[in-house]
Amino acid sequence: MAHINRNFVIAYTLLVALPLVGLVGVLRSGRKLTAPISVDGLWQLHVDPERMGALPCGKMLADTETALLISQSGRNFALNLSPGPKSNASGVIDGNTLKASIVPSAEWSAQAGCGNNHELLLMATVDPRVEPRSLTGVLWVNGCPACGSVEFRAARQAPPLRKGTR
Amino acid sequence: MSLDLFKLVLQLTVILAVCRVAGSLFRKFGQPRVVGEMFAGILLGPSLLGWVAPALSAYLFPPASLGFLNALAQIGVVVFMFLVGLGINPAELKKHGHAAVLTSHVSITAPFVLAAILALYLYPRLSDDSVSFTSFALFMGSAMSVTAFPVLARILIERGLLKSRLGTVAIASAAVDDVTGWCILAYIVALSRVAHSGTSIWTTVGGIVLFALIMIYGVKNFLVGMEDSYHKWGGLSENRLAVMLLLLFGSALCTEWLGLHLLFGAFMMGAIMPKGEKFVNYVLERFETVTVTLLLPLFFAFTGLRTNIGLVKGHEMWMYCGLIVLIATVGKLGGSTLASWLTGMPVREAAGLGTLMNTRGLMELVILDIGLDIKVISPALFSMMVVMALVTTFMATPLLSWFCPDRILYGTPLPIAGEDAVRRPVAAGAESRISA
Repeated sequence: MAHINRNFVIAYTLLVALPLVGLVGVLRSGRKLTAPISVDGLWQLHVDPERMGALPCGKMLADTETALLISQSGRNFALNLSPGPKSNASGVIDGNTLKASIVPSAEWSAQAGCGNNHELLLMATVDPRVEPRSLTGVLWVNGCPACGSVEFRAARQAPPLRKGTR
Repeated sequence: MSLDLFKLVLQLTVILAVCRVAGSLFRKFGQPRVVGEMFAGILLGPSLLGWVAPALSAYLFPPASLGFLNALAQIGVVVFMFLVGLGINPAELKKHGHAAVLTSHVSITAPFVLAAILALYLYPRLSDDSVSFTSFALFMGSAMSVTAFPVLARILIERGLLKSRLGTVAIASAAVDDVTGWCILAYIVALSRVAHSGTSIWTTVGGIVLFALIMIYGVKNFLVGMEDSYHKWGGLSENRLAVMLLLLFGSALCTEWLGLHLLFGAFMMGAIMPKGEKFVNYVLERFETVTVTLLLPLFFAFTGLRTNIGLVKGHEMWMYCGLIVLIATVGKLGGSTLASWLTGMPVREAAGLGTLMNTRGLMELVILDIGLDIKVISPALFSMMVVMALVTTFMATPLLSWFCPDRILYGTPLPIAGEDAVRRPVAAGAESRISA
């Protein structure tokens, strides 16, 4: 019996207790890691409606009611208008900079009265020091230098959707 | 948000039909029905229906209508968690002493620690700075160390192994895993909510301790009275069953109010229920049918609607997904196998036990759903973890047959004290005992 107990104690120590000590070490070392900046959530867009409306396919973004809905997964994010037609928009986060490509859907193109082959590009910088976070950047049409670019600002509506709540 | 009753009933009809068909198809291939239903949920979401027929998907499941579907699904999961808690019997663990204690604890710590190590790699890639590394790592650990107690029980019943040594050790270990996993998850949810509500952690902890004391020393005694009444009258009146439901929802509301989650209260209520076999079976029969056949498919569909496999794109993301499946399997299957082998179980039987413990099923989806709600995991990671849940649950039946063919399990009976380990026939049509 004592033999069984001794073996059990050794096995338990090696397979349970020691890994748990290791877990504490992993949690401590993980605290030094930095994750990409959080941009998840709803961002209220502030643009010059006239300039944005003049941009091909930009009409949908000129609406003062329109917000950007960002769904983030690490460095990658998907972007949609809220409310608004679907877009095939995705981007990456590099430090505090966001880069995204927005390909309007057929519905978007029809509503905005633009062609199908336009691609909007977005580049913006997040200011992590202020809460709620704000975004400053520019939008332009890929391959159309004559179309110019439009500056915009956006403010996150609230902390990431339902954070910590249901 | 107004209720479009036509749309809601249409959604229920489509979901039930697809889940039933998929469940039956998977059963033909020797898989538990739940695997097919989980798969059906994915089919109805953006991963398939939304991809191949976006207009139909938008018509069937417009975002504005999902709130009602979610409400029904969550009620189903609340009752399901009560049934899971009801099925857990701490006395099972005592029967098997060292073997079950070591196996269950290793089957938690091995995947937990490996998941935390994996978190070191995934946190900078799949999380963001609104989530602390500790929350992320602990969540990954608890999500990877969970065992689908109900699916495991279902497989054991189907193979007639419920009373074998393999079956009883698996059931006892899975019970410990689930209780531990939910305690850790409760800690993470409390941390996350406290961080964003401004409430002191001690208020939450104090409230939870008080709630647990009331449940264990007050409500439990009342429930013992219900069991006595069941034995006296051979059943429970509708009033008593209604009181049981009230206590269940009251308990769920308490934990939600305390800053945890509805499901913890539901699980706690089930866990403190009297464990007499006849009484447990009676209560299961009363609540199980509607929950498993109607409400849980809604949860699978709702989870499927939140799962977008399309977010796992590019070889890098699929590599993360593969790593998650690999680590989850190595930790759970490997850890359980090693521990049970060390406690004297033959190697093939130990591997069979590891395979059973590696089954995650619906429990994993419930945990992931909470993780996505409190934003500890991102949508892409959620989808990867759903893939992991599907793969590990899917592999259980074929792997078990491979590791433990009937000649091994039944050729040499492996009796445990006072119990018969020979094959126990399954009653015709028996698809009960929390078959999800």
